[in-house]
Amino acid sequence: MVVREVTVTNRAGLHTRPASMIVRTASKFDSEFFIQKDSYEINGKSIIGVMTLAAEQGATLSLTFEGEDEAEAADAIAELFESGFGEVK
Amino acid sequence: MLSDSQHVELPTEQGTPERHDPFAGEIVIEGIGVAPGIAIGPAYLYARAAFEVEERHITREELDEELRRFERAVAKSERDLNKIASVAKEKLGGDSSSIFEAQALMLHDSELYDAVRERIEQDHMSADYAIQTVINKHRQLLNASDSEYLRERANDMLDLQDRIVRHLRRGKLLSVVDADSIVIAENLTAADIVLFSRRGILGTAMDYGGSTSHVSIMARALSLPAVVSTHGITNHVQTGDLIVLDGLEGRVIIQPSEETQTYYRECQERYRRLQHEQKQLVPLPAETIDGHPVRLMANVEFKEELKLLKEYGAVGIGLFRTEILFLMQRRISLSEDEQFATYKQIVETVGPDPVTFRVLDFGGDKMLPLGHREHNPFLGWRGIRILLDKPELMVPQIRAIMRASAYGPLRILIPMVTELNEVFEFRRVMEEIADDLRADGEEFAESIPVGIMVEVPAVALKARRFASEVDFFSLGTNDLTQYTLAVDRGNDLVADKYQELDPAVLQLIKQTVTAAHDVGIKVSLCGELAARPQATPLLLGLGVDELSASPVYLPEIKRVVRAVSMDETRALADEALSCGDAHEVKALLKHWMHKHACDLASYLERDS
Repeated sequence: MVVREVTVTNRAGLHTRPASMIVRTASKFDSEFFIQKDSYEINGKSIIGVMTLAAEQGATLSLTFEGEDEAEAADAIAELFESGFGEVK
Repeated sequence: MLSDSQHVELPTEQGTPERHDPFAGEIVIEGIGVAPGIAIGPAYLYARAAFEVEERHITREELDEELRRFERAVAKSERDLNKIASVAKEKLGGDSSSIFEAQALMLHDSELYDAVRERIEQDHMSADYAIQTVINKHRQLLNASDSEYLRERANDMLDLQDRIVRHLRRGKLLSVVDADSIVIAENLTAADIVLFSRRGILGTAMDYGGSTSHVSIMARALSLPAVVSTHGITNHVQTGDLIVLDGLEGRVIIQPSEETQTYYRECQERYRRLQHEQKQLVPLPAETIDGHPVRLMANVEFKEELKLLKEYGAVGIGLFRTEILFLMQRRISLSEDEQFATYKQIVETVGPDPVTFRVLDFGGDKMLPLGHREHNPFLGWRGIRILLDKPELMVPQIRAIMRASAYGPLRILIPMVTELNEVFEFRRVMEEIADDLRADGEEFAESIPVGIMVEVPAVALKARRFASEVDFFSLGTNDLTQYTLAVDRGNDLVADKYQELDPAVLQLIKQTVTAAHDVGIKVSLCGELAARPQATPLLLGLGVDELSASPVYLPEIKRVVRAVSMDETRALADEALSCGDAHEVKALLKHWMHKHACDLASYLERDS
């Protein structure tokens, strides 16, 4: 199991497009993927789940990956957060 | 003035008798009559059936089929959404497509997809009910949120539900509509109307819409009595209620009394007689009493309408709206050969009279399933603006039309022109295509007339310049009116300000005609105004050479043409141009009509 802490840095937060990017990226991997915000945990491969997190700029999230390709999955998702989802800053 | 012997009068029994008073117990709803005729029959409420989901359970035997239905609806919804998203991205870029991409992802989201399957498999819910149940749960969560963003996402989920349910029901819906019913709906699309009409319904009434909205044009084209803009008829009608639909007066009567029914059956009979009488005008030439010919042509959207040309005495097609072919197929592109086959058939059927093909006029209220939302579509990406941006739409169409020109006379009409450059660009494309066709050994007419729609006031104001660059003008008075008066013709709130007879519009028509005649080209008029007999003398007086309307209106127009002289219509036009507003013009026309005794059936008079 891999656990990563990430911060939402992009201005708009996890709105529709970033949420879609997370789900699409996560779906490329076999590992299970959960996102926890405060005490609320959702399936990171569910667009409905990710959107209901309503994570805004500055929010801290805990990402959990479990499976054969968990390390690669974790890197790929963390990279999305670091790049601010390609949002122009 | 006409002498008495030249009066054109309807037999007296065909005038509408004194206004009929409603009886207690019946509900009378007023709207706008947009397609003439009277229908009496049971109501079928379409709107609620289309989107309201009922609690329904299925049997074990139905389980597999229900899951397959769900799969098919998901697949179709996904196709829709991907198409919408890709076009949105291509044209608008950036984030505009993300909402559709997210909806497409939701379709396969386990929270939705697996949950729905589970409800069907385990709880034996119908697919519709399962979808609603699952989506309701998510919507409740989202709606309870403090975040406005999340509350908006609840609406996205409802959109998604509607989309899937629509796909689940398509086909099913049609089969439940009885042939002899009157369809009551909040709003129908042009495509809905066609499907219903093929099913054999008697008429339709809607909550929304205006007389020039596309669905109304379609109802007229199909001779299907229709009343729109009823402000909530769907709240008063149940499926099965007996209804009288009066497409002449724009009225719907729910649960009519015996007396009312008898009265309307008489009206129906009178209307049939009037139609019969109009038939006698069909073989007669459309010319004024002083021998000035006017070409009466047909506005056509479907191949099915071609037979109406002969029936109502149309001399060719003044406006063939090619985009309808595409809208009917719900496809963004039809191949050149598919289009060619249709155009060829039309030209062969209508020849030797000419067919005017208006090239694709998407945008405005005629949305392809493009999905991009413009704040102001009527001032946006439409008509020639789209075509010049998208050669993949324009080139196959022009090739198809040019190839069809080998089989009969045709003209090409360009919509939504504002600048000369658009005409030059269009002609350049045509020349290139001509070279290609020659190289391919395809036959086509060497001189195909090219005209433009005059629907943007700028073009009417620059008519002199345009007249030397094109072969004909076609006045699109519907859009010309809304652009000149800044009134959205589909907006109920300002519908009363949409006045085609405003002197400003008339002035633009006059200016266009003068510019055209100075260089010897002709002016056609294909807006709804062409279909209104009250306006015919005025249009003649303004110098319009051709009137193009739904074929059903042409006999009545011809009756008026044959009853007037050019001198008197020119005097009328001069007077109308000096009026202060549309109401004065209408009063003038009404007075003039009575004075000149072109006493039309009062059913047509209510418009003025």
